[in-house]
Amino acid sequence: MAEEQHTSQIRYALAGGLAGLANGFFGGGGGMLLVPLLMGPCRCSPRKAFATSVAVIVPLCALSAVIYWFRGSLDFMLALPYLIGGLIGGLLSGKLFQKISMTWLRRGFALLILYGAVQALL
Amino acid sequence: MSGAVSFLLAVLAGLLTGILSGFGVGGGSLLLIYLTGFAHVPQNLAQGVNLLYFLPTAAAALPSHVKNGCIEKKALLPAIGAGLLCSGAAAWLATAMDTNLLRKCFGVYLLIVGLRELFRPGKEKDSVKSS
Repeated sequence: MAEEQHTSQIRYALAGGLAGLANGFFGGGGGMLLVPLLMGPCRCSPRKAFATSVAVIVPLCALSAVIYWFRGSLDFMLALPYLIGGLIGGLLSGKLFQKISMTWLRRGFALLILYGAVQALL
Repeated sequence: MSGAVSFLLAVLAGLLTGILSGFGVGGGSLLLIYLTGFAHVPQNLAQGVNLLYFLPTAAAALPSHVKNGCIEKKALLPAIGAGLLCSGAAAWLATAMDTNLLRKCFGVYLLIVGLRELFRPGKEKDSVKSS
């Protein structure tokens, strides 16, 4: 039993570490790694995986933001309009959730991401 | 582009990515694509905006997750401990390295995420019947 406990601690640490790398290096995207890692190797239910990933990523984000700030990569005025929009979007999101097709949403998302990849690489 | 127009566009971009984030569709990476690809914000500043954007929304969602008992408590200490070490080092590296190289790395990351997302079998049940 103690052995089992020990390996699960290591899995959580690895998952958190990987999410931390993405979070610090790209300023986000840690959840895209952490949620599947929590559901797969760490055997959490999807609901628990999403909630736990938020709880883990908030402190990592806070630390990354402080470091970005010290290194002159944080511009509060630049972020302000996105924050205002994000607040409204978050409120709307709950209302729209039942009305859209997740499959097409995922496909559209994938295409946008690939478009961004091409733009960044070329 | 005038200041007011770019401000409104930024609000709109924040709104759309906010909706998608609420659906759990990685709004953060979409915001980064908008910032760097359309608004021509340097990669490191764009990543800073993304961090600031994520913090209040996520922090606002936390109390209800805690109340509903959805958080795996025994994961917190190891995951946050290792995560802080790694994110600190990675944030330091990202802000120290050449912005263009950082952007190329971001491109590779997007390529992997996008391809994986595109070819992932659709396991989720659709909430709407396809018409």
